Amino acid sequence: MSKPSDLVQGTLDLLLLKILALEPLNGFAISIRLKQVSGEILQVSDGSLYPALHKLEQEGWIKAEWRASENNRRAKFYSLTRLGRRQLDREAANWNRLSTAISQIIKLEEV
Amino acid sequence: MRSEHWIYTLPLRLRSLFRRNRAEQDLADELRDHLESQTQQYLATGLSPEEARRAAIRDLDGLELRKEQCRDARRTRPLEDLIQDLRYSLRALRKSPGFTATAILTLALGIGANAAIFSIVNAVLLRSLPYPSSSQLLTLSNNQSVPDLEDIQKQTRSFSAIGGVNKQALDFTGEGEPIQITGGLCNADLFPALGIQPAIGRAFTLQEDRFGGPALVLLTHGFWTRHFAADPAVVGKSIRLSGNSYTIIGVMPRDFWLPGRPVDVLASIRIANPAAAQFRGVHFLATYLRLQPGASIQQASAEMKSIDEWLAAHYPDNDRQMHRRLVSLREAIVGDVRLELLVLFAAVAIVLLIACVNFASLQLARSATRRREIAIRVALGAPSGRLIRQVITESVLLSLLGGACGLILGALGVRILLLLKPAGLPRIETTSMDASVLLFTFVLSFFTGILFGLIPAFSAAFFGTNLHLKEDQRATSGAGSGFRLRRLLVVSEIALALILLISATLMLRSFSLLHRVDPGFRPVNLLTMRLELPEARYREQTRQRYMHQQLLEHLNSAPGVQAALISELPMSGDFLDHNFIIDGRPIPPPGTEPEVQTRTVAGNYFSLMGISLLAGRDFGPQDRTGSLHVAIVNRAFVAQYFPAQEVLGARVDWARNNGPDWMTIVGVVGDVKHFGPNEPELPAVYDLYSQTGQPWKRWMYIVIRGESAPGSLLAIAKQQLWSIDNQLPLTQISTMSDVLAASLDHQRFNLTLLGAFAAVALALAVIGIYGVMAYSVIQRTNEIGIRVALGAQPRNILRLILSQGLRLALLGTILGIAASFALTRYMSHLLFGISPRDPRTFFAIPVALCFVALTACYLPARRALRNDPLTALRYE
Repeated sequence: MSKPSDLVQGTLDLLLLKILALEPLNGFAISIRLKQVSGEILQVSDGSLYPALHKLEQEGWIKAEWRASENNRRAKFYSLTRLGRRQLDREAANWNRLSTAISQIIKLEEV
Repeated sequence: MRSEHWIYTLPLRLRSLFRRNRAEQDLADELRDHLESQTQQYLATGLSPEEARRAAIRDLDGLELRKEQCRDARRTRPLEDLIQDLRYSLRALRKSPGFTATAILTLALGIGANAAIFSIVNAVLLRSLPYPSSSQLLTLSNNQSVPDLEDIQKQTRSFSAIGGVNKQALDFTGEGEPIQITGGLCNADLFPALGIQPAIGRAFTLQEDRFGGPALVLLTHGFWTRHFAADPAVVGKSIRLSGNSYTIIGVMPRDFWLPGRPVDVLASIRIANPAAAQFRGVHFLATYLRLQPGASIQQASAEMKSIDEWLAAHYPDNDRQMHRRLVSLREAIVGDVRLELLVLFAAVAIVLLIACVNFASLQLARSATRRREIAIRVALGAPSGRLIRQVITESVLLSLLGGACGLILGALGVRILLLLKPAGLPRIETTSMDASVLLFTFVLSFFTGILFGLIPAFSAAFFGTNLHLKEDQRATSGAGSGFRLRRLLVVSEIALALILLISATLMLRSFSLLHRVDPGFRPVNLLTMRLELPEARYREQTRQRYMHQQLLEHLNSAPGVQAALISELPMSGDFLDHNFIIDGRPIPPPGTEPEVQTRTVAGNYFSLMGISLLAGRDFGPQDRTGSLHVAIVNRAFVAQYFPAQEVLGARVDWARNNGPDWMTIVGVVGDVKHFGPNEPELPAVYDLYSQTGQPWKRWMYIVIRGESAPGSLLAIAKQQLWSIDNQLPLTQISTMSDVLAASLDHQRFNLTLLGAFAAVALALAVIGIYGVMAYSVIQRTNEIGIRVALGAQPRNILRLILSQGLRLALLGTILGIAASFALTRYMSHLLFGISPRDPRTFFAIPVALCFVALTACYLPARRALRNDPLTALRYE
């Protein structure tokens, strides 16, 4: 099983914020969405998902409310806050800078 | 940005803290929801329900671990831990009520005593004086006369205002019986100097404060409330004071305070006592000097030095010997009592230390019984930091509870202390449990808990883990670091208690020595009271003398009553001194003549008081107005001025008298302890009211000797006095025995406190040594059983236990003696007639303490003997 450490530090936060920016979801739906969008490349264990969600909630970046889910059960839905939107922009920008820098390095011709 | 952050997160934090169950429920629901959904999904892939569920759980990678991580994300972990520790502590404490009660009570005693003494120290030493910018207030080292103060005011540039006050008795004949009140006779500058203005009306101005100015008076809040029912319309009314009419122009604020005894009214000294105010030689004003903003004390002192030299050069007669020095007002007021309050504070701190040592020892004993529990918790994975925190939390909880009880005890203690009427502690009446006392008590309790919780905490955490799980408690001689520590604590406790016991004994012995001091007179069956003839009706000496004569005749005519008059009663606190010269000896330059106590009498004062006549004769009926002016001197006078010469027949006179008025010495009387039992008598000259050339000496003490009860003597005195003049108030009515006892109030206060502290310290130390010995005996039950089974005799066992106790007691005693030897010299100023290293005390008290300690060991030793060896061997 893939470990969370396989993810670059802080990337999980970015992924979660991005997913929630699209629409409010509950934990299970998030886990499915994660698997869908990242395919088999990024494996996030269900276990590390919830602590990460709780951390984001405590930071004030996402907020949670209890709602009926699709199969009509009470489920905790997370959505992005204004603070979370700002954080997402910031982290996305960071990520872009980092990945550009790294791809530049990788593209260097070996002598 | 931050505020927005809190909008989202604050409700979450609050929920985590106060609705923890709800948060937990949400967490469980959320994860269950996830598990169910996941299981459904696995079911859809064809797994059996059982397998599906297991797979879902496996995906989560440890349900409880994840929950824990989610809890960590809440960021309220430290607080939650604290709450958990508190809950756990409360439960643990409830389970051992005996331990809890003992610990809280021990600490409450220690902290309560400290809170009480601190509230007094706070009121007397720490709280700033009740004047605005009171650090800018200075006073002069000696009292000033009105003309001197005027000159200082004219020449100074360092002070913005210089106030002066003299407190004088005034007769207030308002309604009913005439009463005597205290007038603060002052200058107009007093108000700006203190920075206090009247609450109602106004103060008198510089223009009104002049000889022949209007007679104006200000009332203090207390006097206004007592006599005018706090009537705000009182301004403009007039009152009669000592026969003169004054117009009320204002009322002082409620918290107005002057150092020394409280005053009732304030009036201009130039109006209320013009005679004394005119003389440069009447140095009777206490001074209050307010520094100009920006002026330094050094600058002001230098300026005062040059003014003093100027005055000495211009008025050598009156000002040559003044040597004025500037002193901070605060220092002048509390300087004398600081050291003795600090001694009391040190004593009470020792009590707290002993209480804390007992507290630590109690906790150690408890943690020893909890070793298994702690070991199990360690084995289950409790980190040692968490365990230490838990033990300290419990300790702080106990100490705060103890502190809360201590506050109650302290408040009670303050009440009792104030009942003891500690004379001479300025502003003690303002003692209260204010915010700083509360803060002091809280901080004290908190740190007591932490510091003395650390000892058991570390010994608890460092207890081996697996060792105690399998331990069968068959410890032999009470080993273990915890127990060694407890013995160390007992040793220090005994040492500390000994310091207090020795100090208290020194105080007690000096107090009993003071009590046995011969006052030089017979105080039994003597009633005394003060009377002052108002100037308005008794300005002429003939009227005064007629009054004296009438009064004595009336009083002596009553059956079984003898009466006499004296201007300054021994131990009343009153005294009067004059410069004097001796006939036939070179006259010193004016202002440098020797000083002598002057006292004026009427009637058979010496025989009535029981003051012995040593040489020559007593005053008699032949000494009348107009006959030879005679005087009697005391032994101290002879010793100082006539050590080898014949004193009888010599002549003395007041220096710089208007025209010579030589007094011929006809007798010598014994010394009386005029200034209190612990003060030496000064040289004194007695003369007669009927012959004295001092018309301003209108005050007197009436001394009445009679077998009847003081109450009926007083009734006789009042009846006789008021049959002559019903406008005269009698004050300071007291039996001479009470006057004598009151002169020891101060010592009694210190002694009572030290004694109480020593008693508490002794009790705590005895409890401490008893606890340790009892515990050690229980620990050694097994060992003792073996010894008895092997044939040890009861006395061997007894000796075994007692010698262990004695070793602790002796070690503590030796340390205590050394510490006392180093410390008691700081209380030498509180002692009388005894050395602070009095060998008898230093021998007897340690011996007694060892004896008490041995008794405390004997009880558990007896219990050890009573054990049946078989049971003892089987013991656990």
